[in-house]
Amino acid sequence: MSTIVQLIVSGVLIGSVYALMSIGLTLVFGVLRIVNFAHGEFLMIAMYGAWAMSHWVGLNPYAAIIAVVPAMFLFGGLVYRLVVRPGLDKPHLVVVFATMALSIFLQNAALMLMTADLRDVPPIFARSIVIGPIYIKGEMLLGFVVTLICTAALQWMIKRTHLGKAIRATVQDGEAAMLMGIAVPKIFLITFALGSALVGLAACVMLPLFSVFPTVGLNFVLIAFVIVALGGMGSIECALLGGVCVGVVQSVSGYYVAPAIGQLFFFLLFLLVMIFRPNGLLGQKGTAMLGVNE
Amino acid sequence: MARVAATGGASGRISLLPRCGQMSWFEIALLLACVAWVGVGLAPSLADVTVLTFLLAGLALAWNIAGGYAGLISFGHAAFFGIGAYASTILLLSYDLTPWIGILVGAVAAAIAGSVLAVICARLRGPFFILSTLAFAEVVRIGALNWSSLTGGAEGLSIAPMPDLANMVLASKSAYAALMLCYLGLAFAVTRGIEASRFGYYLLAIRDSDEAAAAAGINPLLVRTGAMALSAALTGIGGTLFAQYFLYLDPTYVISPELSFQLALLPAVGGLGTAIGPVLGSFVITPLSELLRSYLGNAATGLHLVIYSLVLIVVMLYFPSGIAGALDRLTRRKAPP
Repeated sequence: MSTIVQLIVSGVLIGSVYALMSIGLTLVFGVLRIVNFAHGEFLMIAMYGAWAMSHWVGLNPYAAIIAVVPAMFLFGGLVYRLVVRPGLDKPHLVVVFATMALSIFLQNAALMLMTADLRDVPPIFARSIVIGPIYIKGEMLLGFVVTLICTAALQWMIKRTHLGKAIRATVQDGEAAMLMGIAVPKIFLITFALGSALVGLAACVMLPLFSVFPTVGLNFVLIAFVIVALGGMGSIECALLGGVCVGVVQSVSGYYVAPAIGQLFFFLLFLLVMIFRPNGLLGQKGTAMLGVNE
Repeated sequence: MARVAATGGASGRISLLPRCGQMSWFEIALLLACVAWVGVGLAPSLADVTVLTFLLAGLALAWNIAGGYAGLISFGHAAFFGIGAYASTILLLSYDLTPWIGILVGAVAAAIAGSVLAVICARLRGPFFILSTLAFAEVVRIGALNWSSLTGGAEGLSIAPMPDLANMVLASKSAYAALMLCYLGLAFAVTRGIEASRFGYYLLAIRDSDEAAAAAGINPLLVRTGAMALSAALTGIGGTLFAQYFLYLDPTYVISPELSFQLALLPAVGGLGTAIGPVLGSFVITPLSELLRSYLGNAATGLHLVIYSLVLIVVMLYFPSGIAGALDRLTRRKAPP
């Protein structure tokens, strides 16, 4: 009994970290209607950034947030200008292929500069937190807390601020928003940069838990796609739900079957959801048709 | 990507540059050049890149049937490639069945997998479709990696390097190049055949609008399944040929997402939904990437792929209809309709 509770607790914690990493993807998808196939590589370079801060500057990975998040915001803006915007008015495949080529570019640039070695930081907390029979890694608990704070802050931003209202208006109807005086291209730029900044935040939280290497993005981007599709693309709370589902499935199946097969389960889960609930677990009708050439 | 069916004015004559449903002098010349290139005998340094270029051109054509004509953008074709390769290799190693028959078994197995994928994705379009194909290939890859009694797991499978025509292990690289050219020819002929057939028009119809196609009496699911199965079968054949050339298989390469991306990028660069596009894509991109690899691979690991991917980004953003689209514009400027 305590095993299963332990597995579920670890699953929820790790799942929330996965969710944090997916929020940027779901936000960009919801507003721009594009899937950024280089999302995993954004995470990879942000993790390298956090690693560099910790290794060369001596900052704690959590303190590196103050440098990595603004840097990723700028990087996202740059990528939007150079790669995404020129493709927005073309068939939606163009952005798909361009971001995919971008992911090859970033992977190999990292391979050139950082070599294929695994980089990691020493553990932050000396021992796990013990609550009754349950052991919790401090880094995971911190990741969970950061995710909750970040989701709440984003929700507040989307619901209450002027920028959030402009973003929601753009999601509902881009043309009408433009007629109301909202600079839609600017909203796109800000959303893409904000999505990248969130990836930067996720990277700082994940670095104490995972090693970083040039192709690390591929593992995580597949998880992020699963989460975002499970939750129904474009919604932040649903990404949290999707993340927790993936985390629990991974930890439970990893324990009872084998860690390698754990991955198999969540891809199967993804396909099952796609067959039976193509709009996501809580998704609204029509979500599955988003991003199709309109 | 406006496509024009063969125009009446050019009927009975062979056009200079490729058109839908017509052979052109350009294609005939390209084919003759390939045959001559192989027939003259290959310099050892060029043999590998020639074999690879032909094989990838055939695979790109196979992908294009689903991706270009039917609009079923798949990032999971490496699964079909792997299924074809593993089917024939397992039959050869465990049951001593010649790959000449195994290649057909592999094609059928891949076609079944393709149909399953098409049915799974029946209700999906756009990004969700793409992501499902990616997840499907991952399921196949993790399955192959962990079912080691059948596939050899991460250690992979090796075929004995003893030249033997009966086992499709050829003695020279020129012979392999000829074999790959036959495969390329087959994939091209199938593509042209589809273009000229009723089925080809069904594919274009469901690509452009599912609802309109259904209203015109086409069953979209059936057509999607057919396109995916055909594309998968041809990809599976390519998988067997790959296994017989490299004589070694392991799931981390044969069913990798990287390979899936490559299979999708070649037709995208060449020109989606055209017969000549994937061929041009492979003829330009494969030698380019091999050249970069051989010159820059030693200087700095990864540099060749950095340059390669930059070229891809520029091509995708500024020539979205690919090399074939650029060719098409060229002819139109010369001969306005």
